[in-house]
Amino acid sequence: MRGNGNTVGEISLQKDATLDAKGLMCPMPIVQLAKKMKELKSGQILELLADDVGAKEDVPAWCSRTGNQLVGTEEEGKIFKFYIRVK
Amino acid sequence: MADKFCMVVSEGSFDKAMMPLIMGNTAASMGMEVHVFYTFFGLKLLKKGNRPKLPGFMRFFTGMMEKKMRKLNVPGIEEMTKQARELGVHFYACSTSMALMGIKESDLAEGTKVLGASAFLNLAADSKMTLFIG
Repeated sequence: MRGNGNTVGEISLQKDATLDAKGLMCPMPIVQLAKKMKELKSGQILELLADDVGAKEDVPAWCSRTGNQLVGTEEEGKIFKFYIRVK
Repeated sequence: MADKFCMVVSEGSFDKAMMPLIMGNTAASMGMEVHVFYTFFGLKLLKKGNRPKLPGFMRFFTGMMEKKMRKLNVPGIEEMTKQARELGVHFYACSTSMALMGIKESDLAEGTKVLGASAFLNLAADSKMTLFIG
């Protein structure tokens, strides 16, 4: 689990928006994520839900490449939850 | 300035159509500037209304592959191309290949630019990475 000492539970309460990318295969979760992030303001937190197994590595890679901060991740069964702070 | 990412596509089969679209859409979503140069058999992928098939004997199973992709919610060539254009991916046709393949500028999909090798290499020389798909 990643984060800044916050538990994912606390982070999920702070989320400003959710993007449900369940059922989408690579590269669509990333394409949708990039679009959605443009709609949000700096400092806001997006919750991304995905079930493409590639997302587990792809989302952190996207965050580090684009400079947006991944503040938490969680796995719930086959669903990955990512919490990303807009840069 | 955004990092540049270039690709050269030299084959016109279904898989060679998909790969640059997947890479291109992803790279553009990661904030990169994407340039794709279609040459030789790859050029026909830029023709209006082109429906590429799997390579060799597998061509007979293209429909099955498309059906499976729809079932798995994997976006098809048409959707990925539309998406790539929305994200500003640049598509280029090789001018020499056009002459070789008898393809006219009016045969190419909207928004395609015709380039020679020198203009593409000028872009590739400034890019962070270049992939050859063929």
